[in-house]
Amino acid sequence: MRDKLRKWREDNSRNSEQIVDVGEELINEHSSKLGDDIWIIYEQVMIAALDCSRDDLAHTCLQELRRQFPDSHRVKRLTGMRLEALERKTQQPKNPPAARKRKISILKALGKSAEAIRELNEYLEQFVGDQEAWHELSELYINEHDYGKAAFCLEELMMTNPHNHLYCEQYAEVKYTQGGLENLELSRKYFAQALRLNNRNMRALFGFYMSASHIAASPKVSAKVKKDNMKYAAWAATQINKAYRLAGRGTKENKCSVKAVEEMLESMQITMS
Amino acid sequence: MPIQLTSQAYCKMLLHAAKYPHCAVNGLMVAEKSKDKKKDGHGEPVLCVDCVPLFHGTLSLSPMLEVALTLIDTWCKENKYVMAGYYQANERTKDTRPNQFAEKVAARISEHHSEAAIVMVDNSRLTTSCYEPIIHIYDHSENKWKIREVTQECFEDWSEAQKITSALLEGRSYENLIDFDNHLDDLRNDWTNPVINKSVLDLC
Repeated sequence: MRDKLRKWREDNSRNSEQIVDVGEELINEHSSKLGDDIWIIYEQVMIAALDCSRDDLAHTCLQELRRQFPDSHRVKRLTGMRLEALERKTQQPKNPPAARKRKISILKALGKSAEAIRELNEYLEQFVGDQEAWHELSELYINEHDYGKAAFCLEELMMTNPHNHLYCEQYAEVKYTQGGLENLELSRKYFAQALRLNNRNMRALFGFYMSASHIAASPKVSAKVKKDNMKYAAWAATQINKAYRLAGRGTKENKCSVKAVEEMLESMQITMS
Repeated sequence: MPIQLTSQAYCKMLLHAAKYPHCAVNGLMVAEKSKDKKKDGHGEPVLCVDCVPLFHGTLSLSPMLEVALTLIDTWCKENKYVMAGYYQANERTKDTRPNQFAEKVAARISEHHSEAAIVMVDNSRLTTSCYEPIIHIYDHSENKWKIREVTQECFEDWSEAQKITSALLEGRSYENLIDFDNHLDDLRNDWTNPVINKSVLDLC
């Protein structure tokens, strides 16, 4: 059980209900055998308990942590989280970066996107390397439909993480959403890059197919560009069909998906030519 | 013409919202294709028999949405369904208004089906007991989206819908709900949710 909690901590997964179930049992029945691990488990379970509205459990964990680490900033931050969950105002000092991020989360939760964006921009001027923050900012911009600025944030992430196929693929999606021929071409290139980094990324494959198809169907492109993009789209369609057939092996339910994909690809072929 | 929801449609919508309480979620609603094409304004309500959960997290990006709409359109044609509406549950509990993106998607659906409605889930009232319907329905009239009062008339059978949804929420069936995002992560995940559909049928 300890290993499960550790794995969830390392993966940063938000399966709070499961963490509460496993963690509560571990704390109540096996706390003596946990040694020093118990403190990080208290923290993990406390956060999950807040997610599940289990304030009783969150309070217990927090009390144990406070007793053991009376002056810790980390524990103070957890106290703040609990108060936020109970919808009470917090009086966190502005300086520690983690507390600033908490403040930004609170602004976001209150719906004050413009303020959250402003604070996050100020934070990033100081902490340029904070990837989580750049990603959060890109999401805030996407929700505000400010795709240009969202793309900028993702560019920062791609520069520092050139091998991360997910950032490439998200950047491509933002460019595609922005629209326009130039953005579509850029989006196709970045979907291709994401595929090069991970050839099993279905979103990148579909994205590559869609962007190539749209470019080929556009009346503004030259015949050569149209021909090239039709080739790319045809290649992608084959790969998509292959992936679906591989997935559908042995399950008769998936046959409907395979057929639907084939028909979708065929119908798009018609619009392209 | 107003829409009406079956237990299966309502229940899967709520299961989707319950599976990702920390994210916004969205999906499409489908109705059976009606055989007669008479356009009388005060006819039978359109019955949404099922819904397809789409995405969770960042909803406002187009490429995957286009893929989903095209794929689901093909699936609808095979099964004699039409897309009849769009549902969304926002990220924040207190926010129940449809945003610009919801309106765009609904407008796109309306191009092919004139009665498309937007259903917003009211997260603040989502509980396992489901004593009352927790959705808001918006209809498009006079170029604006207007909210309609939700009564038991909006459901094919409210008491059945309430009973089934409550049972599945308590049984944590939402852990097995597949949305289009899950499908893109692993193609073997079936977004038609045959397992959940069977559970709903078993409880009817």
